[in-house]
Amino acid sequence: MSKQQPVLFNIGWNACINCGACVAICPQEAGFVSPFDTIAVDRPCDIACLLCEQICPVDTITHVPAPAPATQNGAGVR
Amino acid sequence: MPQPEYDVVIIGAGPAGSTTARFTAAAGLRTLLVDKRQELGAPIQCSGAISRHALEDVGIVPDDEFIHEAIYGFAIYDQTGERHVHDYRSLKPDEYGSGPGRKPLGYVVDRRRFDRYLLTQAERAGADTWLKTEGRGYTPTDDGGCTVHLRRYNQDIDVRARLLVGADGLQSQVGKWAGLQTHIKITELAGCLQFIVDRVETEGLLEIVTGHEWAPGGYAWVFPKGHGYAEIGLGVIATMTDKPARWHLDKFMTQSFFRERFADCRILEVQGGGVPLAAPLRTQYADNLILVGDAARHVNPITGGGLHTAVAGGKIAAGFITGHLEDGMPLRDGALRAYQDVWLDALGDKMWKLYGIKTDIFHNMNIRERDEQLYATMADYFSPTSEFKKI
Repeated sequence: MSKQQPVLFNIGWNACINCGACVAICPQEAGFVSPFDTIAVDRPCDIACLLCEQICPVDTITHVPAPAPATQNGAGVR
Repeated sequence: MPQPEYDVVIIGAGPAGSTTARFTAAAGLRTLLVDKRQELGAPIQCSGAISRHALEDVGIVPDDEFIHEAIYGFAIYDQTGERHVHDYRSLKPDEYGSGPGRKPLGYVVDRRRFDRYLLTQAERAGADTWLKTEGRGYTPTDDGGCTVHLRRYNQDIDVRARLLVGADGLQSQVGKWAGLQTHIKITELAGCLQFIVDRVETEGLLEIVTGHEWAPGGYAWVFPKGHGYAEIGLGVIATMTDKPARWHLDKFMTQSFFRERFADCRILEVQGGGVPLAAPLRTQYADNLILVGDAARHVNPITGGGLHTAVAGGKIAAGFITGHLEDGMPLRDGALRAYQDVWLDALGDKMWKLYGIKTDIFHNMNIRERDEQLYATMADYFSPTSEFKKI
């Protein structure tokens, strides 16, 4: 299991040039892509390798720890 | 409504996909070419340089519709500004030049116009061309063919095909559908950024600036872009710097030996992309599926150039497909490996050799030695005597 905590990416759209380098480097097996041809920003990334942040020519990808997933009884993990 | 039926469905209408489609359609195969974008070539992720022979080899007539500027040679710089010039106007004045009976060595093309032109040629050869159409997946079927799942203007459409061609670029999803190993290493994908600028003089040469100081892991470039414009860009390997490409481009423009040349420049466009400086994919085929162009990583690992390899690969793919389908050959269980063998023979083996040369250079951890090696290799690569002149 990865030691990395899942993360949620944020893209600074103001600087994004839509170059697709983040998608090209992403090792996720399939479809971790947004409708704007960037990596997905609407769901957590479990791999959290952060290669997309490294490759971005305009340095416009950041992340926050993903919100804890809901447990079986519906309560969030604290 | 009955399902539309094709011999070949091609996903991605860049230079590789459209060239494949033009040749399969011209050979009489029922061909469908789809692209999810509304405007081809954009967002531009490429400098647009291609040699004249690369166009002519695949039957593309150089046309003002897509040419920004003619190119007559190369200037390769080391990190201090020393340079080797291979100007074919003086090397072979009877052949190259702008005068009557003389020809350019190559061109810088407008990718929006170029890609649209190639789509037009495919369409005129008989291919159906659908824009705003995204590939969503494919399923091999019992009859030996496959169903390709598309989405066009929000409508799901299934199309029957014998063969699917993935020409969907570096971010290829088609290869992933078939479980192919398409992942590229961070050490082999250059993060690139370029500006189209005004007020920078050029001289009909592709200028390439080597040196870790300016572009760690890659190189910087200044290309003529027509109408007095130029293109200034660079690519870097993320593991060789802790700064993004934009920082390096800024530094190159304001601190390098070109700082005075660039001092008055005005930025007109900002473009970027990931450029693989990697080996071709080891497996470029699966059941009912082959990959071509950037999707198969048909990119020159020394120069990062992908236009020639895309159109050349498209012609190779189409030639293979035409013969293979006409002969009713199997499309499963590794039968399409024959495509990859044909491609390796025509182009790929040389690309593997270039990959070896490139890897040797960048495995040298001594920066001064590595700079010297890259400068010498680039200078030699573009010389008239280079064994790789045709890639």
